[in-house]
Amino acid sequence: MANYDLIPRMIPYLDRHLVLPLLNFLSSNKIYPDHDLFKAKYELLAKTNMVDFISELYIEIHGDKEVPSEVLQGLETLQTEAQKVMDIITNPEVIAALRQDKLQNLHFLKEKYGFGQFQYNCGIYGGASDMLYHFRVLSTDHDLNLSALWGKLASDILDCNWDATLEEVQKLKETIDQKRTWFIHWSIFVFFNHPKGRDSIIDVFLSPFYVNTIQTSCPWILRYLTTAVVTNKRRKNNLKDLIKIIQQESYEYKDPITEFIESLYVKFDFEGAQHKLKECEEVLSNDFFLVATKMEFIENARYLISETYCRIHLKIDISGLSQTLNLGQEEGEKWIVNLIRDTRVDAKIDFKENTVIMNQNHTSIYQQVIERTKGLSFRSQVLASTIEKREAHQLTNAIESVTE
Amino acid sequence: MSRFFKGSSDSESEDDEITSSDEEELDVETHEVPSGARRRFLKGAGGIESDESDEDDTKREVRSAKDKRILALEISAKTIENAQKINDWVAIQNEFDKLNKILTKGSIGSIAVPRFYIKTVAMLEDFLNESLIKEKESKKKMNAMNARALNTMKQKIKKNNRLYEVEIEKWRLNPEENDEETPTEVVKKKKVDLDDFDETLADEEFEKEDAEGDFITVSKYNKPIEYTSENLFKKLREVMEARGKKNTDRLEQIKILQKLLEVAITPYQQIRVLLALIPAQFDYNPSMSNYMNVDMWKSTLKEINQLLMILETNPKYIIHESAEEELLDKEPIIEVDQTPFAIRGSFVSFIDRLDDEFTKSLQNIDPHTTDYVDRLKDETELYATIVRGQIYFEKNLLNESTSRVVMRRLEHLYYKPDQVIQTVENSVKQIFPESSKSTITPASSEVDSTELIHSLCVYLYKKGESLHRTRAMLCHIYHHALHNRFYVARDMLLMSHLQDNIHQSDVGTQILHNRTMVQVGLCAFRDGMIKEAQSCLQDICGTGRVKELLAQGLQLQKYAQHPPEQEKLDRQRQLPFHMHINLELLECAYLTCSMLLEIPSMAAAGSNPEARKKIISKPFRRMLDFNERQVFSGPPENTRDHIMGAAKALAAGEWQRCQELISAIKIWDLMPNTQNIKDMLNRKIQEEGLRTYLFTYSSHYVTLGLDQLANMFSLPVNSVTSIISKMIWNEELAASLDQVDNNVVLHRVEPTKVQQLALSFAEKAASFVEANERTLEQKQTSGQNQRDQQRQKGQSNQQHQNTEKRTTHHQKNNQQRVRNNFNNVLGNSVKGRTQQNRYRA
Repeated sequence: MANYDLIPRMIPYLDRHLVLPLLNFLSSNKIYPDHDLFKAKYELLAKTNMVDFISELYIEIHGDKEVPSEVLQGLETLQTEAQKVMDIITNPEVIAALRQDKLQNLHFLKEKYGFGQFQYNCGIYGGASDMLYHFRVLSTDHDLNLSALWGKLASDILDCNWDATLEEVQKLKETIDQKRTWFIHWSIFVFFNHPKGRDSIIDVFLSPFYVNTIQTSCPWILRYLTTAVVTNKRRKNNLKDLIKIIQQESYEYKDPITEFIESLYVKFDFEGAQHKLKECEEVLSNDFFLVATKMEFIENARYLISETYCRIHLKIDISGLSQTLNLGQEEGEKWIVNLIRDTRVDAKIDFKENTVIMNQNHTSIYQQVIERTKGLSFRSQVLASTIEKREAHQLTNAIESVTE
Repeated sequence: MSRFFKGSSDSESEDDEITSSDEEELDVETHEVPSGARRRFLKGAGGIESDESDEDDTKREVRSAKDKRILALEISAKTIENAQKINDWVAIQNEFDKLNKILTKGSIGSIAVPRFYIKTVAMLEDFLNESLIKEKESKKKMNAMNARALNTMKQKIKKNNRLYEVEIEKWRLNPEENDEETPTEVVKKKKVDLDDFDETLADEEFEKEDAEGDFITVSKYNKPIEYTSENLFKKLREVMEARGKKNTDRLEQIKILQKLLEVAITPYQQIRVLLALIPAQFDYNPSMSNYMNVDMWKSTLKEINQLLMILETNPKYIIHESAEEELLDKEPIIEVDQTPFAIRGSFVSFIDRLDDEFTKSLQNIDPHTTDYVDRLKDETELYATIVRGQIYFEKNLLNESTSRVVMRRLEHLYYKPDQVIQTVENSVKQIFPESSKSTITPASSEVDSTELIHSLCVYLYKKGESLHRTRAMLCHIYHHALHNRFYVARDMLLMSHLQDNIHQSDVGTQILHNRTMVQVGLCAFRDGMIKEAQSCLQDICGTGRVKELLAQGLQLQKYAQHPPEQEKLDRQRQLPFHMHINLELLECAYLTCSMLLEIPSMAAAGSNPEARKKIISKPFRRMLDFNERQVFSGPPENTRDHIMGAAKALAAGEWQRCQELISAIKIWDLMPNTQNIKDMLNRKIQEEGLRTYLFTYSSHYVTLGLDQLANMFSLPVNSVTSIISKMIWNEELAASLDQVDNNVVLHRVEPTKVQQLALSFAEKAASFVEANERTLEQKQTSGQNQRDQQRQKGQSNQQHQNTEKRTTHHQKNNQQRVRNNFNNVLGNSVKGRTQQNRYRA
């Protein structure tokens, strides 16, 4: 299963703090040996200020109870430092004094930014988020503002404050034109945790610039995009674009999820799709971002299969279809009945022969002609009225010029 | 007017007449014999030179025209000398003009320039320089007239003396010689013929030199030439000055230089001689169309290598294009910790030229002879020199030269298969073991061609100028395509956006681009990506001007539209035979692709006239039509016949016969893994056969058994199902599958004539309305613009900006589409090229 794990590929594009939940997830899933993971975590956090955590990890890795003095020392110095800054910032007199002086104000802002960063490094994400928010409101420095925005996004993500993050993501999207790869990776956190995220992920990732970025630098994001499209019933029209991209990139990246789409819509190999669906289940349950969507994905994938199946077939054997959908005989029947009811597929079940018969609504030529000529008269009318309007307009213009 | 009674007042015009007759004509004339003192007096007194005509004491003498001229020259020379003494530049200028006038008139024949002339001129030059310096130093100005004359003289002398540089140099060496030949003496002597004069002069010289015992060679003109390392620079200068002149014997020059090279001792001397010798050899052949003599090419190659070796062993010297042109003809003093001594010259241009000459010779040698093969063998050595040059430039951080030379290297490699590259690289290692020291191409024991090309290209992407980057990119893509890495090649092609502006680049690059496109197409074909292959090849093979577009031979034009210069240029651009892409194979691949796409599409169109107009490959259609119109068609003979036969068989559903015919084509053997390609094609034929069958006969059936179809086309059942599913899904086929009975139920009904007409009528009405809408829209926007202009300029500008914005947005969209839709982009440039050609024509 490790070969479908995307976390190693994604880590280069993420912040240390953002990686931590991923590693935690991995250790709960037991794909990799524990010891390696602990080591990775330790290395990850060694450069942050989360001292408690580091010492805990140290103990776990080395097994002995003694925490190296430098770690503890670090903790102390950090605490004193923090205290100092805290004193300055929280002292209302200082603030009042500083407000008077613009230059000092600037200095104060810098302090605020620095403190936000510090809090973030210590793992106090809520505080950091607040700090950076205030900083952004007050500051005018563009570069610092941008990095504050990134910082706030990260803190909100880690604080699980999804509403705020969605906002941040939108803001960030408007401001950046580079570092799209980073942006894509960070935004996945949001998109799969916020209820509305899956709409935005489709909008954002399928916009031309992001498609380019995905294709050139991080094709593995296709998995998330595919999942989002499949699980989003209202966005079926994006499926075509997605299929095209998957097909184009298939030589560079494939996993069971993209392969499922490929075998269903490119090869029309229903058996293959069924196999892939089984694999998908496993991959999804091992993916940090997609675990929650697993059931939804499978449900929707079944819909896709049966929809395609029905469109192509005239007579379907229920047991065969149930097999294709990884369902038992009875379950399958229920499923099909539901399907017929929900999607209003024009079909009937022949109980005696245990088949579904699709009603072909074949458009006759008569209908085709009507279809083609339907809008014509309306369009002509619009034409005529615009011409009329134009003439009237010209007339008034002429009169105006005469009266002038 | 009789010559006998010519007035003494116009001796000059007389001179003209006589000399212009240009024969040894005896003439009786009144002429004064100059008495030096008197003239000097006159000069000194008058300042402005007066004609000698007012002399009274004239004496009748009979002289030859030449004698007379020499006399006149002498007089002028004397006058100049006198004028020098009093610094009278106006006089000098006048006299100098006269002097030259006489001389040019006289020297139409092959007589040498009199020695005293040279003396005068040389002295004048010295004097000029002297007085120029003086003028500069002294704050006091000359009078205006004089100063102007001085400046004019400065230019004149500079120009004039360049012509006689050799002679002046000679005179400077020993000014004493011949000085005893006082003017009067000459006059006396000149009783004899002038030819004798030359001879005597030469003889005297000869004797003198002989007496000294340093005699080495005798030139054509009986002049002894001696080459030692001491006078090397002087000789070198002589040769350099003669270079490019009309009457210079180039072969002679080369010989002189080669001799100089033999006597050159110090590295500096050697470098200088080589820097003169190599271009001299390149210059030997003046015409653009001929190629350099092979032997001479080889010797040049050797000399370039020698030069390289000298430069490598003497890091003190460096050849630089922007170095000061050194005037000193002596050994430069080089200190130990000094920066390298720069010598003016362009070494990279030698390599460029050598390579160009090599290509030129290959263009001109008949490729089917052993000569060609022999010539081709020289490429290894040439390549070694290029590599060596690259390392030298790299070491000396000459970035521009390095990228040029790397480009050359790349162009020698990119089209070659791995094995050839390996052999070449290995032999380079043998010839020149240092080759592994390059930083651009780090050495490894195994030569990996892909890695080598990659590192060369990467260097050019980083350091090269834009043309080099483009060409490197194209070479890189070509190489990938050659190695069946279609996706890599395609991605590079699309990401580089080369095709957006390739039609603006030079023709050579466009040719390279066309070659690359063709190679990408063939690569797709080998991989079984028929559609991609077809769209890559379409624009080049579809034009019927394949040869021209790939520069692989001149297209025979029925109506010769090209002017001869155009043809000449085209001829120069031709690629040598060993670089050619096999055109027959290309055509074969293209037609096969077209067949696999066109036949099903024709079948799908059926009797629908609208759909029938959709043509994928025009040349293929044309050939097929032609083939069908023939009353008798015999058994297929050439590749085309085979494919046409196969196409007809495929259309009729006889896929087996189609397979046979396609497999019988011999040219497939030129592709690597022939069997794989044939298998791929067979499989494709089966699939397309199935599709064609379904399109053609679906209206005649109600149901078709899947098993039976699988049987008919010997395909596995599930792939038949998959093909049919795809057709149903894409709405190509009105049918559905019956899972229970395992068959296809067809719904298709052929529309009756009336129905068909009704459909097309509806279509036409729709397009009519659309056209109307478009017209109105156009009118509206233009009308709006007009109105706006009438009203306010500011507003109209805004409007304009808006439309502009819209258009740029539109362009952006276009680009985006381009990135995603591979097939649309391909071959853009090719059209561009053809257009360009048309303009030129």
